[in-house]
Amino acid sequence: MNIAGFLVNALLFPGGLFAILLGLFLTGLDRKIYARLQRRVGPPIYQPCIDIVKLSQKEMVIPKTANYTAFRLAPLLGFAGMLAATAVIPVAGIYSGLYQSGDLLVVLYLLSAPALALVIGASASGSPYSSIGLSREISIMLAYEVPLLLVFFTIAMRVGMATGGTAIFSLSSIVNFQLSHGSLLFDLTLLPVFVAFLICIPGTLGVVPFDIPEAETEITEGPLLEYSGMGLAMFKLTGGLKMLVLAALTVTLFFPVGLGDFWLVNLVWFIFKCILVMFFTTTLIRAMQARMRIDQAYKFYLLVPTALALVSLVLTATSFRVG
Amino acid sequence: MSKFFKVILKNIIQGPSTIQYPFEDSPAPKKLRGKIVHNADACVACHLCEYVCAGGAIKMQESEDHQGIDFVVWHDTCTFCGLCEYYCPTKAIHLTNDYHTAHVQADKYNYVEKTFVKKQPCICCGEPMVPISPAMVEQIYGQDGDVRGLSKMCPQCRRKILWKGGVSKS
Amino acid sequence: MAEWLQSIVKRSPWIYRINAGSCNGCDVEMATTALIPRYDVERLGCRYCGSPKHADIVLISGPVTAVVKEKVLRVYDEIPNPKVVVAVGICPISGGVFRESYSIASQLDAYIPVDVNVPGCPPRPQAIIDGIAMAIEIWRKKF
Repeated sequence: MNIAGFLVNALLFPGGLFAILLGLFLTGLDRKIYARLQRRVGPPIYQPCIDIVKLSQKEMVIPKTANYTAFRLAPLLGFAGMLAATAVIPVAGIYSGLYQSGDLLVVLYLLSAPALALVIGASASGSPYSSIGLSREISIMLAYEVPLLLVFFTIAMRVGMATGGTAIFSLSSIVNFQLSHGSLLFDLTLLPVFVAFLICIPGTLGVVPFDIPEAETEITEGPLLEYSGMGLAMFKLTGGLKMLVLAALTVTLFFPVGLGDFWLVNLVWFIFKCILVMFFTTTLIRAMQARMRIDQAYKFYLLVPTALALVSLVLTATSFRVG
Repeated sequence: MSKFFKVILKNIIQGPSTIQYPFEDSPAPKKLRGKIVHNADACVACHLCEYVCAGGAIKMQESEDHQGIDFVVWHDTCTFCGLCEYYCPTKAIHLTNDYHTAHVQADKYNYVEKTFVKKQPCICCGEPMVPISPAMVEQIYGQDGDVRGLSKMCPQCRRKILWKGGVSKS
Repeated sequence: MAEWLQSIVKRSPWIYRINAGSCNGCDVEMATTALIPRYDVERLGCRYCGSPKHADIVLISGPVTAVVKEKVLRVYDEIPNPKVVVAVGICPISGGVFRESYSIASQLDAYIPVDVNVPGCPPRPQAIIDGIAMAIEIWRKKF
């Protein structure tokens, strides 16, 4: 393995520094557009960076009822998981991904790391509001993992059956398949799976209408209640990175085709597609919907996206083609 | 759901409706009840405003050398209710529309409006007395009606003159 | 370097509101400065946060009644340093119209060091934004 190349990929581009800045930029852009949709002038786009800088300079207050070690190490768990995930996802035309096989499952596994970190941190806090928040987080995590798994499986099967024999769980193979056969977005049998994946994104990110664990007005910020200073900065960074990972995953799985050969044009086109995905799944939905209750949310997740993904799975497994 | 799309489209077209306050001025309506301004020349020291003040913000005390009355309004207890302006017989106290009231803790006990109502000597006996303002004189006697200069005398002298000369105007 | 960090940091104060027995008039005005598009305070980088542990600037309204005094002091202790206290409305500054009442413990700066006062009953949202701007300046120097 080329150690220097690997380190550059993991720490600078596209993992590490580039991913952190892009993730914070996406979060800031989301806040700005959300404000403009409500006829307000929003905060400047680089506001999340300023928030992180400020939070890292405040003192960290640890409650007396907290488990000292778990409380301090929990934010690092989510942050490390998301940072690893950013190094795995390929960017078409620039970076070909880290592994050659099985990295789709790695990404699925790493996507649950921030939620687990939140749960560990909340239970280590020892506060009743945190425990309500963490039980809600666990319920909704179990609910959205089901359609997510079905989506990945359907796409892997589609790519696998068209090229070899069985399902291929490799992001670079999926990208290569789309570069030669056209984007999977235009395949009508996979349209339900695309919609199901887009519906899963607000739940994973914790955005209205599914931000029940962090319901600010009900349980005073839920699991993050006892965090301050550097721990809170880590959690906010993880949130930004998660938004980037999900947007990049959508782009890679459904429409990764670049524009020509020059790397700068491909990079800008990739960022533009991420911003489009973020706008339609996060900002627009956030501006229009109210928060759901926890039982409504997990019933919704166990019914609607699962049904859509199952439709696509059946169509793909029987090799049904449209047109 | 489609109604929301129309609202969002309208919002994007209309642009932000924010008044960016510290960077551009935010006009106050004319009748806004803001900080208090006291006109010492029109005040007759009847203590009505002190009596009706809701927050107990107005204090009027005779000064130590008996030359006048100290009038103090502490804005940190003033409710800006306007009762003092409503009940003042000479309209000496007035609420402006200045709403910039934020100040640091060090200025807390200096945040007052302080005036001095000066006493004038009675033209008959020379005792210092609080003068009756021209607006009130006009209200009582009409225009140029104070031919005997009764409004410039202290109450005791006024009583003596009226007793001697009767109540008619001559 | 410290100067540059200080100038960055002052652009993101997070605000927490404590109601120490108030009539909610000042609370309504404080809520409008954040939510209503006309007085949007988020363009200055501020954010109303839901937990005292996330806060930098504390807005306290209401006269400190005897029942709520202990709780206000407990919540105040949970806020990490450096922090700035802003007394909104005339009630925390001097008791307001409830001055000689039997249920008022005392004015706020007998228990907590107050930094900025914003009198008014209730103060106009622009006056509250003025108070927050002064508080940001004081907070910046405490870093």
